[in-house]
Amino acid sequence: MRKSHMEQVERWAKFVRENPNKWQKDHTEFINSLFLNHEEFFKKLAATPGGKEKILKLYNLKRKGL
Amino acid sequence: MERDVKDLNILNRFCEEFIAIVEKHCKYIIVSGFVAIASGRTRGTEDIDLITEKLSFEKFDKLFLDLVNNGFECVQTNLSKEAYDYLIDNTSIRFTWKNKFLPEMKLKFAKDILDEYQLKNRIKLKLTGLDVWFSSINTNIAFKEELLKSPKDLEDAKHLRIVFAEMVNENEINIIKEMIKRLRL
Repeated sequence: MRKSHMEQVERWAKFVRENPNKWQKDHTEFINSLFLNHEEFFKKLAATPGGKEKILKLYNLKRKGL
Repeated sequence: MERDVKDLNILNRFCEEFIAIVEKHCKYIIVSGFVAIASGRTRGTEDIDLITEKLSFEKFDKLFLDLVNNGFECVQTNLSKEAYDYLIDNTSIRFTWKNKFLPEMKLKFAKDILDEYQLKNRIKLKLTGLDVWFSSINTNIAFKEELLKSPKDLEDAKHLRIVFAEMVNENEINIIKEMIKRLRL
């Protein structure tokens, strides 16, 4: 276990507990940024040669039209 | 449950839209990582884990159709019978918003008395701002500490123990851990 990281987890959890009306703004921005980064990257990957095939492999999908 | 729309992150919005359909058809619980994330844990995830009561094909077919008609698609198949066969084999099926890769909802049927226990003891968590049913905090802690055990899961358990300290019941956690050892390990 990464001790310093677990300490950070504990610090943040205490902040959430003690600030039930404050944590959501930062949290929402964090979660949304993960998905926006993912979407931006996959748009770039899809535009590269073989990019769409790589995406299909990554997600093991059989989607029509991709 | 009062909440400003701007507070919704992508995962929460996806969860609420999906559950709005599911709850018309069956009893369900959200389990595992998303319980911690919806409760403020700052980590990424690609999916939300959902357990529903076991449904007949006729009932599942209606749920499947309702999901498809409301902007969701099953990643594995367009056929409800095929999706149902996955579930009967205790394999989860995955849904996304149409033409989106992420996030995913991983749906499976309750498969044993441990899942039935979770469904029976489901709770709503005001702190999350979500009007959906979750498996209990004690159940999630027990699964993460006894079964899953990765650093990420142990961090999730620690987060839940701190944020929901008043709900933590070591006696119940130990009882659930014993059930996990008997049924899942």
